[in-house]
Amino acid sequence: MPRVSFEHITKTYGQVQVLDDLNLAIDDGDFLVLLGPSGCGKTTLLNLLAGLLDVTDGRIMIGDRDVTDVDPKDRGLAMVFQSYALYPTKTVHGNLKFGLAASKLPREEIEKRIAWAAKLLQIEPLLNRKPANLSGGQRQRVAIGRALVKNVGVFLFDEPLSNLDAKLRTEMRLEIKKLHDTLKHTIVYVTHDQIEAMTMATKIAVMNGGVIQQFGTPDDIYERPANLFVASFIGSPGMNLRPAKLAVGGGKVEAVFPSGVRFDVSDYNFVAPPKDGEDVIAGLRPEHFLVGAGDGAATFDIPVQYAERTGPDASAYFNFENELLALRVDPDIAARLKPGEHATVRYLRGKANLFDARSGQRM
Amino acid sequence: MSEITIAARNAKGEVTVSRAPYFPRKKKTITGRSIAVLVFLALCALFFCIPLYVVVVTSFKTMDQIREGAMFSLPYVWTLEAWDHAWNSACSGINCNGLKVGFWSSVSILIPSLILSIGISMITGYALALWNVRWAGAFLFILFICAFVPFQIIMFPLISMTAALKVYGSIWGVALVHAVLAMPVLTLIFRNYYKDIPQEIMSAAVMDSGSFWRIFTEIILPMSGNILIVVLIMQITSIWNDYLIGVTFGGPGSQPMTVNLANLITISTGVTRYNDNMAAALLTAIPPLVIYFFVGKLFVQGITAGAIKG
Amino acid sequence: MALRWSRWSPQLALVPAIAVTLVAFVGGIIWTVYLSLTRSRRIPEYTIDWSDWFRQYDRLFRDDAWAISLQNLIILGIGSALAIVFGFVLAAMIDRERRGESFFRTVFLYPLAISLIVTGAAWRWIFNPEYGVEPFLHSLGLTWVNASWLSSGETAMWAIILASVWQSSGFYMALMLAGLKSINSEIWSAARLDGVSLWKLYTQIIIPMMKFTFVTCAILLSLGVIKAYDVVVAMTNGGPGQSTYVPAFFTIQAMTGRGNLGFASAAAVMMLVITAIVFLPLVLLTAWQQRRSARIAK
Repeated sequence: MPRVSFEHITKTYGQVQVLDDLNLAIDDGDFLVLLGPSGCGKTTLLNLLAGLLDVTDGRIMIGDRDVTDVDPKDRGLAMVFQSYALYPTKTVHGNLKFGLAASKLPREEIEKRIAWAAKLLQIEPLLNRKPANLSGGQRQRVAIGRALVKNVGVFLFDEPLSNLDAKLRTEMRLEIKKLHDTLKHTIVYVTHDQIEAMTMATKIAVMNGGVIQQFGTPDDIYERPANLFVASFIGSPGMNLRPAKLAVGGGKVEAVFPSGVRFDVSDYNFVAPPKDGEDVIAGLRPEHFLVGAGDGAATFDIPVQYAERTGPDASAYFNFENELLALRVDPDIAARLKPGEHATVRYLRGKANLFDARSGQRM
Repeated sequence: MSEITIAARNAKGEVTVSRAPYFPRKKKTITGRSIAVLVFLALCALFFCIPLYVVVVTSFKTMDQIREGAMFSLPYVWTLEAWDHAWNSACSGINCNGLKVGFWSSVSILIPSLILSIGISMITGYALALWNVRWAGAFLFILFICAFVPFQIIMFPLISMTAALKVYGSIWGVALVHAVLAMPVLTLIFRNYYKDIPQEIMSAAVMDSGSFWRIFTEIILPMSGNILIVVLIMQITSIWNDYLIGVTFGGPGSQPMTVNLANLITISTGVTRYNDNMAAALLTAIPPLVIYFFVGKLFVQGITAGAIKG
Repeated sequence: MALRWSRWSPQLALVPAIAVTLVAFVGGIIWTVYLSLTRSRRIPEYTIDWSDWFRQYDRLFRDDAWAISLQNLIILGIGSALAIVFGFVLAAMIDRERRGESFFRTVFLYPLAISLIVTGAAWRWIFNPEYGVEPFLHSLGLTWVNASWLSSGETAMWAIILASVWQSSGFYMALMLAGLKSINSEIWSAARLDGVSLWKLYTQIIIPMMKFTFVTCAILLSLGVIKAYDVVVAMTNGGPGQSTYVPAFFTIQAMTGRGNLGFASAAAVMMLVITAIVFLPLVLLTAWQQRRSARIAK
């Protein structure tokens, strides 16, 4: 299974620059998710890799082959489309076969592969149906099957689950993950859904405005967001982002909020030595708060605004410096929080994120 | 690979930095297949333009030059003589007053038939689409069939009816028949357009005012701008270009321009003046062509809407 | 009271349209069918000789000009079908090669805006044996070319077909282009990735996907061919002899030229029958489409 790398990719449409000097490389067997809001250039990047678009400048390597000017069909990759793009005039069997028509394989080999893919995806009973007579999930499987039979090293997925309902989406998510675990293909997967990214990826590239904001493992992205964009894009409810000032002295580093609340961030892994009085944005994940007194980076009393239960867990919103502060809490505790009453809240040590207030970069 | 930058000073003296390409790529050239396709399309376009070209150059030539036989050559002298002749004194049958007679007949046929056909069809389409009317489905089906009936099958009855109404052989007769024949298609077009108006709007309107006519004038009519223009263009061109109804129902002096033109080119008395004929053809073609070149998109919408009524 | 009135208004509004439909269309058709059973000549007669009611049809089927008309109808139909093929080729090329789309569309569609009388006049002039394209080609040394199609009964139909194709190709192109544009663009991408050849893609995927568009075009073409009248008048006026008669022309000729009402009515009824034969598939197709969309909606 080959590695895939983008080197200095630039893509312009007329006057509009979509991607500018983008570099990205993944290893064989990696499951790369390109994650970002719509219009961030993630689909463009995927289409460049597929060869459906031509790069303006730069080089794309698959393995040690420069495929920048290679025809899509010769790049050794397969793609699953958002709308599945099944050939409506062909049966499922015909769809799987048609993709191999250009490959000049012997008939037995083609049939063998179709049988294998159909078995793997459990679509054997559907082989003689037309796509119009399949459900969304079945179409999705056929589309994956059409990619599988090509027996190539790199798989591309373009938002493949966006047309499915919530339940099927979860199912197919697990299915694709399982497929990757067994077959170990290199996968490039485009989505705007962070849950898909967090659950399936081995590597995530968060994109915005044609620029890769952060590239790393799902844990990296979640625990140590590289900048404010990544911090606010990942997580639901989102990370609380609040301005504060650093106070350095007495062997301690603290983030001081306008209301006087002080967070102890001495154990924070600063990239550069912190300066006293520096403006920062503190990023506080809702689930790193606890209700009740105890050990923490900070403990303070704030009034409850409201609490809401969302199935297995609950969110509570407090008024902190006249803005809502979101906390992930236990449903039992949420039930006891009355709007208007004060409660004691503390924040876990070593979990705060600090960003430079001016550049928005992680400190 | 290290970053290579090229700094340059632009006209204002500011430094602009542009990066040299990392992997210099060939300027994307047009592929052979594209060239072949474009050449083929261009040849087809040429084929489509030939008749227009020939008609235009002929209309500006003198008869002397036409007799030389070089059909595709440009006029030696561009003369408007033929145009003047076609407009003012070309003969249609025994009348030699030129095409201007037909032109004004066409205009005066156009206006009443437009008002009549669009008026009836709009109201009918509105009632069928948005109100609970008994037998609406059956009526629509009959209209659908009527839209495809060949004219010949009701030609004589229509002649008798217009004669009984004392409008046969007049501009009013031609206009009335146009309105009758266009009614089924236009009703279906309006009905299909109104059908897509959300039922909630109608429910709200019925609760607020409840009157069939008030809802039409205050809510539906202002929403019909697009379709009205499309239908208007479609009807203007089809009525203007009609020959059969004009020749059947128009009497002397009330025949539309196309009939004059057909008489001019088919009935030759003495020497045929081809330049007059071509000028006359162009004069007849100009009004719809002007519409087409200005609002071509709406024109195409009209003809496709007319084609796929179902 | 007001409420009642508003309930009646929509029904009242339909009265003109229903009256026109019943009187002009339904009544007109019945009237003509009735006339076709009578011996009416220039003046309508309303007595039917039931022992000989088939008289006019009998005469019609033995009429040479009617036989020519039917034959020409088929020739014209097959010949004009070229417009669909041509329209599809143009649409496919424009659709894939986006450059110059609006220019080519404008050029290919302008003939549709022009009266068929004008179209006929233009082509009649091009085929002029004295000063038209033939002497031009002869002057270029191509003396073996015979381009005076209108002066011979064997070739006059070809000229009419050429003019019809010229006039209507753009229309079919527009319909085909709309059909092609409704095809999901990811199908094209998938085929590119699969390395499917263009020929295979069109014959096995794209054209089968557009079968509804093709059937629509075929039916519209057939209806257009049955109605073809203006172009015949302008180009040949039925001639030379009766070689370019078509049913629409024949019927009008029988009524106004021969002044034989019963006979012309019989021909008109036959036109209606031919239309119905063409029309039936459309009705079935529409019903089938509606059933299918109803099933999908479920």
